Amino acid sequence: MSRAVLFDSTLCIGCRGCQVACKEENRNPAEVTKFFAAPGGYQNPPALSATTFTLVTYHELENAWGDPKWAFVRRQCMHCLDAACVANCPVSAMQKAEDGTVFYEQAKCIGCGTCVSVCPFGVPVLELREPGPRVWKCTFCQDRVSHATVPDVLNEGRSTPDVLDQPKKARHLAARRAPACVAACPTGALKHGDRDALLAEARGRIQQHPERYVSHIYGETEAGGTAWLYLAAVPFGDIGLPTRFEHLPDAPHESATFGAWPPHMLGLGALVGSWCWYARRRERVAAAEPSDAEERAPCSPPT
Amino acid sequence: MTNHWTDLQNADVIMIIGSNAAVNHTVSLRWVRKALDAGAKLISVDPRFTRTSTQADVYAPLRSGTDIAFIGAIINYALTRDRIQREYVVAYTNAGFLLDPQYAFDDGLFGEMKNGAYTREHWRFQRDANGAIRTDPTLEHPDSVYQRLKRHYARYDFETVSRVTGTPVEKLREVAELFTSTHRPDKSGTVMYAMGITQSSHGTQNIRALSILQLLMGNIGMAGGGINALRGMPNVQGSTDHALLFHILPGYLRAPTAEDQSLEAYLARSAPTTADPLSANWLSNYPKYMVSLLKAFWGDAATPGNEFAYHYLPKVSGDCSHISLFEAMGRGEIKGLLVFGQNPAVGGPNATREHAALDRLDWLVVSDLWETETAAYWKRPGADPSKIATEVFLLPAAASVEKEGSLTNSGRWGQWRYQAIEPPGAAKSDLWILDRIYQSLKALYRQEGGAALPGPVVDLAWNCGAGDALDPQLVAREINGQFLVDRAVGDQSFRKGDQVPAFGLLQSDGSTSSGNWLFCGSYTNAGNLMARRRRSTPQDDPIALHASWAWCWPVNRRILYNRASCDPAGRPWAPHKAAVAYDWAQGKWTGDVPDGPWPPLRLPTGELNPTGRRAFIMLADGQACLFAPGLADGPFPEHYEPVESPVRNILSSQHRSPAVKLWHPQEVGDAADYPIIGTTIRVAEHFQSGGMTRNMPWLVELVPDNYVLISRELASLKRIQNGDRVRLKTIRGAIEVYAVVIHRLKPFRLGGRTVHEVCVPYHFGFMGLSQGAIANTLTPHVGDANTMIPEYKAFLCDLERVEGGAP
Repeated sequence: MSRAVLFDSTLCIGCRGCQVACKEENRNPAEVTKFFAAPGGYQNPPALSATTFTLVTYHELENAWGDPKWAFVRRQCMHCLDAACVANCPVSAMQKAEDGTVFYEQAKCIGCGTCVSVCPFGVPVLELREPGPRVWKCTFCQDRVSHATVPDVLNEGRSTPDVLDQPKKARHLAARRAPACVAACPTGALKHGDRDALLAEARGRIQQHPERYVSHIYGETEAGGTAWLYLAAVPFGDIGLPTRFEHLPDAPHESATFGAWPPHMLGLGALVGSWCWYARRRERVAAAEPSDAEERAPCSPPT
Repeated sequence: MTNHWTDLQNADVIMIIGSNAAVNHTVSLRWVRKALDAGAKLISVDPRFTRTSTQADVYAPLRSGTDIAFIGAIINYALTRDRIQREYVVAYTNAGFLLDPQYAFDDGLFGEMKNGAYTREHWRFQRDANGAIRTDPTLEHPDSVYQRLKRHYARYDFETVSRVTGTPVEKLREVAELFTSTHRPDKSGTVMYAMGITQSSHGTQNIRALSILQLLMGNIGMAGGGINALRGMPNVQGSTDHALLFHILPGYLRAPTAEDQSLEAYLARSAPTTADPLSANWLSNYPKYMVSLLKAFWGDAATPGNEFAYHYLPKVSGDCSHISLFEAMGRGEIKGLLVFGQNPAVGGPNATREHAALDRLDWLVVSDLWETETAAYWKRPGADPSKIATEVFLLPAAASVEKEGSLTNSGRWGQWRYQAIEPPGAAKSDLWILDRIYQSLKALYRQEGGAALPGPVVDLAWNCGAGDALDPQLVAREINGQFLVDRAVGDQSFRKGDQVPAFGLLQSDGSTSSGNWLFCGSYTNAGNLMARRRRSTPQDDPIALHASWAWCWPVNRRILYNRASCDPAGRPWAPHKAAVAYDWAQGKWTGDVPDGPWPPLRLPTGELNPTGRRAFIMLADGQACLFAPGLADGPFPEHYEPVESPVRNILSSQHRSPAVKLWHPQEVGDAADYPIIGTTIRVAEHFQSGGMTRNMPWLVELVPDNYVLISRELASLKRIQNGDRVRLKTIRGAIEVYAVVIHRLKPFRLGGRTVHEVCVPYHFGFMGLSQGAIANTLTPHVGDANTMIPEYKAFLCDLERVEGGAP
């Protein structure tokens, strides 16, 4: 099964419980932030970072009658099906797991930054530090999900009329089998499961409420398809998501980051291989790109 | 809440007014969403388009402090279009009661006033020779409550109200049409409200207006109906239930005043009477609850011979609410202050005045997780610690997860929780701290004899263990109450020491104790029912009562007034989501725990049932109050402007509520100097005065600084850019914050005039990881006429860009 998460932004209330749950799960420290003039003044930290793998951004819009609308969007690794970072990593530090996770192995990483420069969503963050470089991004809670257990505390009897029962354990286990952000969401805006099943569900939601959604599942085809699937009430470009992927950097050997590293550290074979893959992939992505006509435009950004 | 959180999913229409539930009660949106997924509609009413509004089908803006006008427009619409549930209104409300013919409402006044208070002489019903209230079930009599209500709200047409609230007429109509669609017997609508309408000089009347609307719709008692206060803290419901307020004793019993010179006199003034044999008048049981409370307080020292130690209770004189206390402190009349789990230096209104009041204390004890602004008021910016003589004690307290105890949520569910971890360092639970203070006081009174009356302290029954053996379970057992002697009640017999199973068994002769009659039944011989955690399934519990999850007061009844969810013969108005139903064959109610054991008021044939009782058992006359004579500021809610308002009241020449007390008339801002409406708001990322959250790095990261929300229109008028530093000022003080320019907030057009409003979060102060200006520097010492809750939500201010302000 290929894991996926469906993010229905129309159900999101921007509470950022997912953002904090992500910090907690990954034991990531807080960043020292300052107020900055982001739309709505809410967004913080300003961007994904070595200690922020999930970020909610706020988007003020209005409809044709000038009534306010307000949309909330998540940023995190999209766990692409054919991930550019995986294909281009010269040392296979980025890999695609069977369950769909794009995961990272620090031991192999040479800190070349290819993953940073080829990511169509601008997600991975490279930290050049001692003893070795490290790339940070959403782990898809692979460890949490694959090792989900009921903590001992739930197995202990309590001196109450109602000892914790089997359904309680089952519910707890179900929550542990989902990424931390999904388990934290109070409104069901996040749903974790099999990608094909979630795609079907997303199509169903659009069909049932055509007045509510733009008729497109973001991530079904974007960047060749991603494990994160988004639904929205407004065109995805209006809420800051890339909708065209031609601005991707060209072949990895032209990347500036590479210049900083001695060529002997980069396997020539890997270079050639990734360049070939990348060229093929660009063709596939271009073919699968949704046309503008598919997106209705009930809203426009405020002027 | 009359209902409870999971019940929100049963609603057909949900109106969220005076609340930004998605931000402040985030998890409530889980249940709101369930309702919406099942086809319900959501209305969001707020001065600005909020995160809650993003989920709404209809968003209606309204100017802060004009809720009565807004709700009055819906009431008027319902009454003039006959979109009310008439059968419910006739059967269960006082709509048919005939009013004193001399009752009059004239140009904003409800009759004669003396010394700033209404005489209330004619706020009463006509009675026959036997004392029974005269009624007209046709509702046609011109003196009937119904006709008077109709006349009262006739002025609240959409056009007039739109000029008051700034809500476009078409939005008013949309809301009115949608919400009054729940007048159909099989539909229910719910109202979720919070501080947006309570923190007002007419806050009580705001909620009264919502109650009237809900009664006209027939929504009270229904699954998915009711009137639902979203309480501000996990246990604020519990703290009011257990009387952390000056005017009540536990279980909402009245605090005695100087006029109550004996227990008998107190009980005579407290226990209501009725001439109606069909009214249950439940509070006629008042003596049982009061005597059982006194037995819980003073145990063996409370005897029939000493009026059960009634004279140990202090007799309240006058208003001892928050503002009054700080005013008295400012005058030097209060020398010492204990502060537990509160941070008034940030949360109290008119912060400058309240900080100065703290300066005059001899001693201050603050028990908290952190050194809050209240604990550190003596080193606030601008203060000179060498000039402040107060001795300050800071006691490290344990957080909720570091101790065992109960939390009572908004839905009245007492939920037991365990200690998860040990408190850090020397931190101790509140119970431990209070026990140590009490034991020391008791020893002092014993040694030194003490003041005139040491008895109240040295005789206290202190049944919670001692030292390391202190046990919150013992407190819970005492709150529930026990039999103090072997005795029989009816055909049941009990042994001394048995837990009392329900408050119906409490006695007024001193043979039972109960620390809070409402919680009687929460901790029985079967154990601590608040610790239950059994969920039900949609199959066995279609309206999600979750009767075996925790325990709910009273008597585990999940929906208050639930007998009104049936017609007078006990048949549910909405059979597909029946809260209760009467089974005539078996002679009992099914479903939720009914509001009293009596059979319905009418037989299935429609005849009056002499053994039946009226549905609203907590009211002396058994009928819900459309007309409520008990409040200080009027029997019907009437629109008045907030004490500080930029416009004239166009509904009457009475500008502000006549019953409101002004502490400092010279501190009422003038619209000529301060033309902009200010209101205080909250964010999801910080909690209350920020005492906890501003010390939590992950949350500080999310919202690190204080700010003010400004409309694009006002920003362009004042030449303010998003992210500028601005100075916000009222007649009481000024603060500097960041400007957040948004288009979700629009100026209000009132007739030909444009009025601007700004919103500032109140979570910030000068201590903790993240610091920011105290918004309550701006708010006034003005309170509601009935409750004295401060008017935080509407004041007058002005703002300007700070040139070269700090980045």
